[in-house]
Amino acid sequence: MHPALDWQEDDPSSALMFSPPPKPLRLASPVRLPGELPMAVAAAIWRGDQLGGPVCAVLSSGFKALDAQLPGGGWPCHGVIEILASQSGMLEWRLLGPALRQVCAAGRAVVVVGPPKAPHLPGLRFEGIDERHLVWVRADTVAERLWSAEQLIKANACGALVVWLPQARAEQVRRLQVLAASCEGPVFLCRPSAAARESSAAPLRLQARVGLDWELHLDIFKRKGPPLQGTLCLGSVPGGLRAILTPRLRFPSRLLPADVSREVDHVVVSTPAPERPHRAVH
Amino acid sequence: MLWSALLLPSAPTAPCTEAARRAVATWALQFTPRVALADGAVLMEVATSVRLFGGKRALRDRVVAESAGVGVAQVAWAANSLAALALARAGLENGFKQPLPLLLDALPMQVLSAVHPHQLTLAHIGCRTLGDVRALPRGGVGRRFDKQLLQALDQAYGAEPEAHVWVALPERFDEHLELMARVEQAPALLWGARRLLLVMSGWLAARRAGVTAFTLRWAHDAMRSRDAGEGGEITVRTAEPTRDTEHLCRLLAEHLAHVQLPAPVGDLHLLATEVQPLLERSASLLPDTVRQGETLHLVLERLAARLGPGRVLRPVVQPDHRQEWMCRWQSAPEPLPRKLAPDTGLPQPTFVLPEPLKLLVRGNRPIYQGELQLLAGPQRVEGGWWDRVDGAGTTRNVVRDYWVALSARAGVLWVFQTRLDEAPAWYLHGHFA
Repeated sequence: MHPALDWQEDDPSSALMFSPPPKPLRLASPVRLPGELPMAVAAAIWRGDQLGGPVCAVLSSGFKALDAQLPGGGWPCHGVIEILASQSGMLEWRLLGPALRQVCAAGRAVVVVGPPKAPHLPGLRFEGIDERHLVWVRADTVAERLWSAEQLIKANACGALVVWLPQARAEQVRRLQVLAASCEGPVFLCRPSAAARESSAAPLRLQARVGLDWELHLDIFKRKGPPLQGTLCLGSVPGGLRAILTPRLRFPSRLLPADVSREVDHVVVSTPAPERPHRAVH
Repeated sequence: MLWSALLLPSAPTAPCTEAARRAVATWALQFTPRVALADGAVLMEVATSVRLFGGKRALRDRVVAESAGVGVAQVAWAANSLAALALARAGLENGFKQPLPLLLDALPMQVLSAVHPHQLTLAHIGCRTLGDVRALPRGGVGRRFDKQLLQALDQAYGAEPEAHVWVALPERFDEHLELMARVEQAPALLWGARRLLLVMSGWLAARRAGVTAFTLRWAHDAMRSRDAGEGGEITVRTAEPTRDTEHLCRLLAEHLAHVQLPAPVGDLHLLATEVQPLLERSASLLPDTVRQGETLHLVLERLAARLGPGRVLRPVVQPDHRQEWMCRWQSAPEPLPRKLAPDTGLPQPTFVLPEPLKLLVRGNRPIYQGELQLLAGPQRVEGGWWDRVDGAGTTRNVVRDYWVALSARAGVLWVFQTRLDEAPAWYLHGHFA
C-alpha cells in the first residue's frame, strides 16, 4: 500500500540515516572529566541560574535596561505577561507604550479589554497609538473579560492584547496562557498587587510602581531564569509631557515637601535636603 | 465525464419535496454550472471543475462532507448520470471501481425509473437485475414494452447520449425549510438555519459574491396561542462581505441567544438581503508565512454580537478643545472618517474619567491620595457656548484651567480648576498612565 515505507523497512542501510552517526561523538570525547557533558549537549541545556534564551519571538519593550533583564531581550510573544500594580490605570500606557508603538507602526491592532477608565486617544497619540489601530472592548464582568480575551487570543488577529483582570483565578490565567501559546502577539494581563502572592501560570510576572522623578520601578519576580534582585528604574516621561518638561521639572521630588517624599517611597534616592517647598510652578 | 448523483432521502421522515431538491441544486451550482434535476435526486457533471477544487479526491471529500449538511442521503459517482443515479439508489458510491456494465448488471432492476411501469411483467418473466433485463432480446423488448426502457438502458450503459435541462441559478436567495419537529428554544433553530446557510453559501459561491446582511425569518406553527403572532425575524449584518458558513453560523448563534420564542416554530426562511461581489485572493505559488487565525473584524463582530454593538469601540478624534468631546467612541465596524483630526501637540492624558471627580482642598491645594504638587500649567480651555443641550436651555460651556499634577501615590494626574464659579473648585479629570 505504501511502497516507500516498505522499502525503508526492507533496506537496512536506510535505517542508518535516522540514527545519529556515532563517529563525531567518539572524536569529541577523548578526555572528558567525570560529570562534564559533551559540548553539543551542554549548549542545549538551560540552567536555572541563567536567563532563558529566545525561545520565541520577542517584542522590544523600548527600555534598554528592561530588555537586558527580560529573557530573549523583550516582551515575549506567544505568552501571557502579568503586570501587577497597586492601582489600575496609573502606569500601563507609560510602561507598554514603546512596545505598542511598534505594533501600531507594523499596522497591527492593539485591543484593550476592560480598561479601568476610558482611554483618551489625543493622549495616546503621543505614544504612537492611532485611531486606526486601537479597539476598546468594554467588557465589565470578569466572565465577559475572560471570554473576550479568549476569543481574541484564539483568533490571533490583534498585534497586542491588554486585558485588565481585577479578579482572576489561577486556572483562568492558566487557560489564557495555554491559548496564548498559539497567539503571535504578546498578551498583557494587568492585575492588582495582591495577585503577587498567588501562583500563576504566566511565565513573566512583574510588579510596577510609579516613581516620582518620571520613573517606573519594576520588580521582576518571575521570569525564565532567577528572579531579579533589586528594583529596576526606568526613566519614562508620559508622551504628552515630553515637550513641556523644563529642566526644573526633571526632578519633581525636589519640589515636593520633604516629609512627603520621605514617607512615600524608599526607592527614591534621597536628594540633598530640599530647602523650601515651592508652592506653585507658574 | 464525471457525474455525481445526490440522492435525497425519500422516506416518510423527510418528504422529498420540490423545494428541497431546488435547495440542493442551488447548493450544487457552486461546483459546476451543469446541474440537473431527476426524480428524487440532483445530478451534476463535475469533470471540468476537478482541477479548480484540487483534484478528484478533494472534490469528492468536500461534496460528501458538505452534502450531508444540506440533507443528501447518498452520493454516487459514475461516467453518466443515469448510472450514477442507479448506483446511488442501490447505495453504492464509486462507479469507477469496476467496469460500468459489470457494476450495473448486478443491481436490482428497480434502480432505473424507466423500469417501474413494467416492473410486474418483468418480474413475472424472471428478471431480477438490470443484467437480466439487458439480456432480453432487444426487438422483443421494443415491441412488448416501450422505447423509454430501451433508451434508458442504453443511456445507463453509455451506449447512447443523454440530454439534460440545466438548472438556472436563482437571482435572489430566498430559501424555505420546514423543520422536522417543532422547535421551542431559539438557539435550537440553529440546526435548521445551518442547513439554509450552507445552501446560501453555495449560492453565493456560484455568484462569486459575499453577503453583508441576511435575514432569518421563522413562522410559528398553527397550534400557537393567539397572542404569539405570526413569527419573527432577525437580520444579521457583517462588516465585510463573506460566505464563510462557520462565521455566519457563529454570528447567528450569538444573535439567537438573545431571542425568546413565544411559541414553537415550524418553518424557517432565509433571505440574503444584501449581497456584494467578493474579490477572492489568488493563491501564491510560493509557500509564504501563513498566518493562522481569522481577521480582526470577524472576531470583533462576534464580540459585538454577544456584548452589544456599543461595547466594541474605536475612537474618533474630534476637533474640539473640551476634553469630554475631544474623543468620540463609535462601534467598531463603522468606518472611520477619511480625514483624521490633526494633532494639537498640547499635553493630554491617556486615561480620562467619565465624569470629573471633585477634589478636596486643603490650604488651597487639591488633595487626591495625598497632597498634589502642581507641575505645569495652566492650560486654559474656554468655550462651548455655542453647543446647546437639546431641550434643557443650557450650553456645554466650560471655563477651566488644566494643570499637570503629581501625586506621590497616584502618579501623574490631569486636574483642572473651574474659574467661573464663586469658589473655584478642583477636579480630577485624567491620568497620565
